[in-house]
Amino acid sequence: MNEKEHIDKLMLELRRGTITIGVLSQLSSPKYGYSLVSLLEEKGVHVEPGTLYPLLRRLEKQGLLESKWDTNEARPRKYYVLSEVGQKVFEKLCVEWESIVQSLEGLITNKGVDKNGDG
Amino acid sequence: MEMVNRYIYAVTQKLPQSQREDIAAELRSLIEDMLEERAGAGDISDEMVNEVLLELGSPREMAQKYRGTKKYIIGPELYDPFLIVLKIVLISMSVGLGIVFVIESVLDPANILDHFVSFIVTIVTGFPQALGWVTFTFMLIHFGGGLKADELKLEKWDPTKLQPIPHPKKQIKRYEPITGIVFYVIIIVLFAFSSNFFGIYRFSDAGFQQVMPFLNEESFSQYMPFVILLLAIFIVKECLKLISGKWTMKLVAYTAVINIFSLVVVFFIITGPAFWNPNFMMELVQAGLVTEGSEGFRVVESIWVNSTKIIVALFLIGLVWDIVDGFIKARKD
Repeated sequence: MNEKEHIDKLMLELRRGTITIGVLSQLSSPKYGYSLVSLLEEKGVHVEPGTLYPLLRRLEKQGLLESKWDTNEARPRKYYVLSEVGQKVFEKLCVEWESIVQSLEGLITNKGVDKNGDG
Repeated sequence: MEMVNRYIYAVTQKLPQSQREDIAAELRSLIEDMLEERAGAGDISDEMVNEVLLELGSPREMAQKYRGTKKYIIGPELYDPFLIVLKIVLISMSVGLGIVFVIESVLDPANILDHFVSFIVTIVTGFPQALGWVTFTFMLIHFGGGLKADELKLEKWDPTKLQPIPHPKKQIKRYEPITGIVFYVIIIVLFAFSSNFFGIYRFSDAGFQQVMPFLNEESFSQYMPFVILLLAIFIVKECLKLISGKWTMKLVAYTAVINIFSLVVVFFIITGPAFWNPNFMMELVQAGLVTEGSEGFRVVESIWVNSTKIIVALFLIGLVWDIVDGFIKARKD
């Protein structure tokens, strides 16, 4: 495995967890699948459509999202929006995320040098 | 749009009936959104459809993502023993077939090329069968153990409940069940070819002369399925030992059930009419190995006449000992 393959593989694992937060963050108002892909892309978060659509469905099944078909437009679309539970879960997730970012910040910027070490 | 229809069909085909319609409708609107963005105000071209479908990934992957869970025939926790058993079975089957080839070549050296061809043909046809049976066996074990795995998940992890390292005498050394499986597979292969392989071989200076079979060749075909069944059960028992790795009361219970059942089968087979070669003593005399009326003849004859009892007794002792031994080892701590 070369350097790039290592990074690709690790990034895949890293993204997998963050995508869920990214998706939840955009669903305070109803969105349909492809609009979410474009929206996230605009903000620099790349999601494969093939990953996003099943993810939306799974989150709905878990009760974090609610969905509704809109048949008024030319093309019927399924809109997803945060459920009450989803809203709370998202808020808590954000807190968790902040703490992860902070801890990792500390780890990365110190680059393994232990300030309180035996120096 | 034909491609899109095909794609949606291929994905939903792999999903539960109840979700198909909704997923199909959603997937269609999503794909149309993607196409529309690419086409803008213009027409949708075949390349665009191709591009979009490539981006979505193969129907199989897509369906798997929708399902969310992976389906196993043999779970990851059983995959390693599965591979071990499969290797053992395939290797010992080759060895068994090799032995058949050697015996047949000794019995009938003139047709050695035919024997070799049938050796190769049987390996080619036998491997998939062996693979199938091993997989089937592990499917059953997986199915039986599936409930147990779920129970374990629900239990709260508690370090004080860690299993003690088994007493050295409790452990089952891997080579024990492996040797067992190799032995049974070779026996199965030999039986599958000819019951005549089991007998007394007579050699003279000129080489092989003849074989005096123990079993009655004409009637053996009736017993054959039971013999194979019996050996297959023994192999399952060895697989359980290999997976468990140590003697537990559960394993002793399985062993007891299997052994008692096999004892019944052995008894049924061996005491059946015409199981043994009725002309065995006569063939021995004709071959000049014993002289009728001599001391040796009487000894051999008394063993032969009592062989049914002797073998049932040996099986009884062996199988009961297997249970008792396991029980004693399982109680050690």
